[in-house]
Amino acid sequence: MDYLLHILILIGIYVILSLSLNLIAGYTGILSIAHAAFYGVGAYVAALMALKLGTPFLANVICAIILSGLLGALVGIPSLRIRDDYFVIATFAFQVITFSVLNNWVSFTSGPMGLPGIPQPRIFGLQVSSHWQFLVLVGICAILVFLAARRIVESPFGRVLKAIREDEVFALAAGKNVAAYKVLVFVIGAAMASVAGALYATYITFIDPTSFTVMESIFIISIVIIGGAGNLWGSVLGAAVLVILPEALRFVGLPSSVAANVRQIIYGALLVAFMMWRPQGFIGEYTFRKGDQG
Amino acid sequence: MSQLIANALITAAIIALVAVGFQLIFQTARFFHFAHGVIITCGAYCAYWLTREGTPFTAALILSVLFCAALGSAIWVFTYRPLQARGAGPTILLLASLGSYIVIQNVISLWFGNDTKTIRQGVVHEGLEILGARITPVQALTMLTSAVLIVGLHFFLQKTRIGNAMRAVANDPELAMISGIDSNRVFIGTFAIGSALAGVAGILMALDIDMNPQMGMNALLMGVVAVIIGGVNSIPGVALGALLLGMAQNFGVWKISSQWQDAIAFIILLAFLLFRPQGFMGKKVKKATI
Amino acid sequence: MSLLVCEGLTKNFDGVKALSSFSCAVKQGEIVGLIGPNGAGKTTLFNVLTGFIPAESGTVLFRGKEIIGKPAHKITRLGIARTFQILRLIKRLTVLDNSLLCYQHQPGERLGNVFFRSRQSARHEAANREKAAALIKQYGLGDKLHDLADALSYGQQKLLSLVCCLAAGADLILLDEPVAGIAPEMIEKILDVIKGLPAQGKTVILIEHNMDAISRVCDRVIFMDAGAKVCEGSVDDVRNDPRVIEAYLD
Repeated sequence: MDYLLHILILIGIYVILSLSLNLIAGYTGILSIAHAAFYGVGAYVAALMALKLGTPFLANVICAIILSGLLGALVGIPSLRIRDDYFVIATFAFQVITFSVLNNWVSFTSGPMGLPGIPQPRIFGLQVSSHWQFLVLVGICAILVFLAARRIVESPFGRVLKAIREDEVFALAAGKNVAAYKVLVFVIGAAMASVAGALYATYITFIDPTSFTVMESIFIISIVIIGGAGNLWGSVLGAAVLVILPEALRFVGLPSSVAANVRQIIYGALLVAFMMWRPQGFIGEYTFRKGDQG
Repeated sequence: MSQLIANALITAAIIALVAVGFQLIFQTARFFHFAHGVIITCGAYCAYWLTREGTPFTAALILSVLFCAALGSAIWVFTYRPLQARGAGPTILLLASLGSYIVIQNVISLWFGNDTKTIRQGVVHEGLEILGARITPVQALTMLTSAVLIVGLHFFLQKTRIGNAMRAVANDPELAMISGIDSNRVFIGTFAIGSALAGVAGILMALDIDMNPQMGMNALLMGVVAVIIGGVNSIPGVALGALLLGMAQNFGVWKISSQWQDAIAFIILLAFLLFRPQGFMGKKVKKATI
Repeated sequence: MSLLVCEGLTKNFDGVKALSSFSCAVKQGEIVGLIGPNGAGKTTLFNVLTGFIPAESGTVLFRGKEIIGKPAHKITRLGIARTFQILRLIKRLTVLDNSLLCYQHQPGERLGNVFFRSRQSARHEAANREKAAALIKQYGLGDKLHDLADALSYGQQKLLSLVCCLAAGADLILLDEPVAGIAPEMIEKILDVIKGLPAQGKTVILIEHNMDAISRVCDRVIFMDAGAKVCEGSVDDVRNDPRVIEAYLD
């Protein structure tokens, strides 16, 4: 039973991650391989504050959101100057640099040894420690993020995001400050991802930089694409499928030493397969195909 | 001091080899073929497997390079070419490339394990001393091989018929097709040559430093940085970029600790992307057409 | 009073003079035609006027205020809207959404309002939606209101992009080849629309190669060649100007 709850909690965390990246990549059309950086910053801020300052969970989350949001703006700003296909490389760069900081600033982050013993959340006097309690917490956060994302995409703000995705020049000509929207969507995406990070850190109670690498970023973008870019339910579906599928392998008797590799092979293969035969993913609206514009 | 220069040159040699192969493919196929990174790893592991199975060393090296050439072309034929036929743009191709990278790297992990391996032969040499710097035979071989192959590639592209055909397809694919150049053959050739260079890089890296399944990604990222800062269309530019990276990674001016090498390389990359996206020697890159 | 005044606009591209000390003035309520051979710099002029390309020198005064150096989206907000030579629309949005997008006063576009003033934003959105629907119906695309812009014919798409300029509330509308490549009935329709714009207080500059269309709607014509203004005046005057005839024969 605990195992099932654990899977659901992980799905919840990845739902938050993929929804937030979907806003950036699926709705605004900006492919970003930097998302694990925002996730990681959120996790480390929450963990370090809890460990070193003893501040309550909600305060830590708010700080995580602010710092991650700032990093998001930092990543978003270059998108205005750098051409689309080169911008992906820039996001790679931010991802690697962030990982480097987490891994090498040993005096602050403990580097590769990680941060053990992260205190579990205490919210309004309620201690969150059992799997059930975490599921409720993660579930509430995931639902809130979903509702927020839905409100964004159904609003005029969201309409502008989609316009930017389809034809940035038209959006400019229509009087929209495209630069501001791009930076903002990065800030929002980063902020949401940091919430997932804080949840992850306090759930597993141990974090180290290896959870926040380029590979993790690629995993998250795979969820967004396979689930369906430009569709919020696609992100939910994608997270569920990509978390459950490799776990299902355990029941086939696969030793855990190879499970990690097989898991990656599965989603790598799925990514290629979907690109070949169904680039819109399961239920997506956007295929990263620049059709008629220049 | 001269040791630092030597180290910088050795690092630069590997990066340049990776970069030049990547650049060749990028010029023709016009997207970021990230799976290039795993081809590097394949070169090393193929050599490892063959030597373990008893193949004579030199033969193992040659076969490994050929295997890489074949693998690279296969990825083109089975993944990229069908996608391009369907009108896939650079983003979709990049994503397919990432997926391919992940699959192949993990197959290597499954087959050989995640631990570090070695294909070094015999005792670790103390190395020769040249101009005050200590260089092992492998390192000398690396620099020599890299230089020869890069210069060779430059002349190949400029002087031979096939090389000219490759440049033609890179410059203007439609015109090349109209002129009767078989672009399919050119693409296969491009991927084969680029991947072969990657294989060589992988083997040289493994001979010098040991190998693990992730070795390719890092070398590739450095190679990508070199291509961007050197200019997407210029081999000399890329060589210069590799040199700059080699120096940045080995010289102590910024050096807080050797682990910050990656971050430094990427900060340099960001600076170039923001302020000189065409690299040292490239032509101006346009943002959007109205 | 001149709505728009350009003085000495110059722009080079890789050594080619796209604009060569170009000057002109456009009065409120005029429909001015901009003609000239390919490569004369007409679209470049539009790009400079709307802030998509920076000029190397010269000034542009819109309602007496300098707009050179302002970003494109700000120029639209000041009241200048345009269409593109290669048609641009958001194909994956509906006809309604395309014109809705262009309205300038949308509190719902500010992120803060999306969360904290949602009711006010919703009210504005509903009001804009009605206005947009009425506008689309007024120009004869009412039955396509909820269709994707992709589903329209090319001529209807060109009409829609004109309607989008009106949705943006622009006073000066720049049309880049509004009737090129479309069926005759649609040409009629669009030309009628253009003719009716001054009555709504709009001013129009339009680029066209179709001389018939130009003579039908334009009060005045400017002839451009090699980035410079060669001559201007009524359609007949310009058509018969020896310099114009010579330029076309080259």
